[in-house]
Amino acid sequence: MKKIRVLARIDVKNEFVIKGIHLEGLRKVGNPNKLALDYYNNGIDEIIFMDAVAAYYDRNTLSDLIERACADVFIPITVGGGIRTTEDIKNALKSGADKVAINTKAVQDPDFITRSSKIFGSQCIVSSIEAKLVGQNKWEVYTDNGREPSGKDVIEWVKSVQELGAGEIMLTSIDHEGTKRGFDINLYKHVAKNVSIPIIASGGMGEACDAANLILGSNVDAIAIASILHYQIDSIQNIKNTLIDNNIKVRI
Amino acid sequence: MRIAIVDYDLGNVRSILSAFDNKGAQVQLTNDRNKILESDGVVLPGVGAFKHGMESLKKYGLVEIIKEYIDTGKPFMGICLGMQMLFNESEEYGHTKGLSLISGKVVKLPRKNICNEKLPHVSWNEIKGNVDNWPNTILEGIRNSSDMYFVHSFVAQPTDEGHILSTTEYSDWNFCSTVKKDNIYGCQFHPEKSGKVGLEIINNFMRICEK
Amino acid sequence: MKPKLEAYYGLPNEVKFCKICVISNQRPNSTIEFKSKKGEHKKVINFNKDGICSACVYQAEKETGIAWEDRDDKLRALLDRFRSGDGSYDVIVPGSGGKDSAFTAHILKYKYGMNPLTVTWSPHLYTDIGWKNMQEWMHTGGLDNILYTPSGILHREMTKNAFHNLLHPFQPFIVGQRIIGPAMAQKFGVKLVMYGENQAEYGNSIEENTNPIMNMDFFSSDNELDMNFGGVSMKEYIDTGRYTKHDFQPYIAPNKQVLIDAGVEVHYLGYYLKWDPQECYYYSVENTGFNANPKRTEGTYSKYSSIDDKIDPFHYLTTLIKFGIGRCTYDAAQEVRNDKITREEASYLVEKYDTEFPDIYFKDFLAYIGATEEQFWKTIDKHRSPHIWKNVSGKWALRHTVSKRGTDD
Repeated sequence: MKKIRVLARIDVKNEFVIKGIHLEGLRKVGNPNKLALDYYNNGIDEIIFMDAVAAYYDRNTLSDLIERACADVFIPITVGGGIRTTEDIKNALKSGADKVAINTKAVQDPDFITRSSKIFGSQCIVSSIEAKLVGQNKWEVYTDNGREPSGKDVIEWVKSVQELGAGEIMLTSIDHEGTKRGFDINLYKHVAKNVSIPIIASGGMGEACDAANLILGSNVDAIAIASILHYQIDSIQNIKNTLIDNNIKVRI
Repeated sequence: MRIAIVDYDLGNVRSILSAFDNKGAQVQLTNDRNKILESDGVVLPGVGAFKHGMESLKKYGLVEIIKEYIDTGKPFMGICLGMQMLFNESEEYGHTKGLSLISGKVVKLPRKNICNEKLPHVSWNEIKGNVDNWPNTILEGIRNSSDMYFVHSFVAQPTDEGHILSTTEYSDWNFCSTVKKDNIYGCQFHPEKSGKVGLEIINNFMRICEK
Repeated sequence: MKPKLEAYYGLPNEVKFCKICVISNQRPNSTIEFKSKKGEHKKVINFNKDGICSACVYQAEKETGIAWEDRDDKLRALLDRFRSGDGSYDVIVPGSGGKDSAFTAHILKYKYGMNPLTVTWSPHLYTDIGWKNMQEWMHTGGLDNILYTPSGILHREMTKNAFHNLLHPFQPFIVGQRIIGPAMAQKFGVKLVMYGENQAEYGNSIEENTNPIMNMDFFSSDNELDMNFGGVSMKEYIDTGRYTKHDFQPYIAPNKQVLIDAGVEVHYLGYYLKWDPQECYYYSVENTGFNANPKRTEGTYSKYSSIDDKIDPFHYLTTLIKFGIGRCTYDAAQEVRNDKITREEASYLVEKYDTEFPDIYFKDFLAYIGATEEQFWKTIDKHRSPHIWKNVSGKWALRHTVSKRGTDD
């Protein structure tokens, strides 16, 4: 039985970790390197750094942050936000990231996923998808940090990104993210039926049992959590213990 | 303690550099023949496609340099793609020849149930083996069934089972996750990404280099 | 020597931008809306000798110069004076269910133990998200509400006049919005009215920030027939024969003396609590079921501010035309002051979004005021002050922008 990965999602703006709700708001909650190190020392499996404002400013500036993180955090690091060219990917990997998460650029130019996975390998390429509920069992793909509707259907898009060569999918529910009301289990249930690459669920975790409910109710491979850690609502150990108590395997 | 990380334009090298640096080694990224031959230990990293990896090695003249280094008897470690290239050939994107330093081939992980078992195999997973065989290897002192970080779709199948130091389970199949032949080691997982346990493996490699 | 360009509305001839935020010196202060006449001169935000706007000066004061614990004590003392002991309503909170009023009403009820009645002066045309948030305010936030919608026939005519005569389509709306608090207080026999933030935070005269009580002139009038709606007096509307005084019920400000005698006081919560609009967003999501706009609001980068009225984007379009200040400038300036973004980031955003045309509800707006596109543009272009706009080969461009990319920069 596979082990579920527990990832810390750290949204960054300049030198701060920020935490929004529905991908909106820039409330500062800490220092990115410090939080990354804390979570590493407390047993998190991976870190995702997202440049929260790359879409606003047509830039991406996490290289320094990643370099510093790599010096003392020895678990996989993913970087996302504003990855627009293969040069951006090369720089991210050079700084020490293992994977890059791509959303907006892929929606505008789907072939970018294919080109990138051919050069860097599909295991480096995480397709980041922002999903907004627009009808019963129907979700729309958004870009630009949850700001622009794309007209694409999420289920169709996840099938495409797999075809195009993405190695993993990070699927964020805009409706749930930052609310601490639990995951949109229905979303992940529907998506997991349609793909065979790993899925990271992101958005909504408020308490430890949310993770258990998600894993038991859908076929995701990993969870990305933020508010619950940044606001110190619960510990990584307790979250993992709750999963173990529910017969879900995790890395100890 | 001088460790050389082979530079052939592939792979996330910063983490490996940091990891060795963290453990106190004097580590450098290089494809220079002299620097490699003078090192106490050499690491071949690698992420990506086998064919691309081999082409890059050839481009930098590293195939001969690596073989020359191996012949000195000093420790060598391949990580992920770096481990796969130690073998004879891979079936990824057709058939590509490897370094043939360890007998065996590289195949795609088989999947029984498509939606439950996913590829690439991106997961923390346990390495298991006969711990009696682990002292004086890079797995010395490591707890059996420790979780390591894996991210790959292909695995190596050593012809000689005696070269298998640890196996890992995927979809009811046990594949070789650590390999050892004389002074050559290979890890399918990423020790530089496997937290503190991974750093222990790196430390072990350095201790072997010291001897 | 270049000839001086004409500046409409008595605006300062030289366009300058605050050194700290991105607001320009063309920003008009809040006025007594029902006195608004066509062509009148505007009082604008003040810039001190260091080129810093009064809103930023006040922000610095907020950060270090005010003892917020004392203000909280003052708030509690105020509320103690008005709190009802018998279960009746004891504070009127005007608002639409947006983040600010959602925060104000909820915190007064659940933290400070008051019994608020929220009163909503209806947006011209509710957006879906606006309506949803308003309903959630009650269903999830646990508040009582009265929604007051004026007759569309007069409201639309006023708005149409306001658009063509003043290029200020929101003028009639603002009249009603200011009045509804005290008017409902009077009707319900409640003495305390609590608004959210003081507009002074955004740059009215700084002395207004030291006063928790709203100037009575904003919402009370002595002679009703002189009240102006869209540059047309009530008397003139009635003289057309299409309206009588009955129709103006929603807009007639309560008599000042009557309010004074009834002991009505109108306060700003922003005087007592350190106001941060973005934090109001977080609070309202967590407590009143508030949802951000599903997508980016046109003319800006954010999703959480002012999203309940389809006509709203046209308010900001007209401020852009008259003052060179669009919605993004307002949002960004506020966020710079509250330390969410840097001035550099704000400038970038303003450059990117400020002049974005609000397409989504354009047809709704034209239908609402009964105008053709041609009529719309004719009015818009008539109001472009020469000192702000330049016509370059048939296209209008700003002479000055905060990132110095204007035609004259």
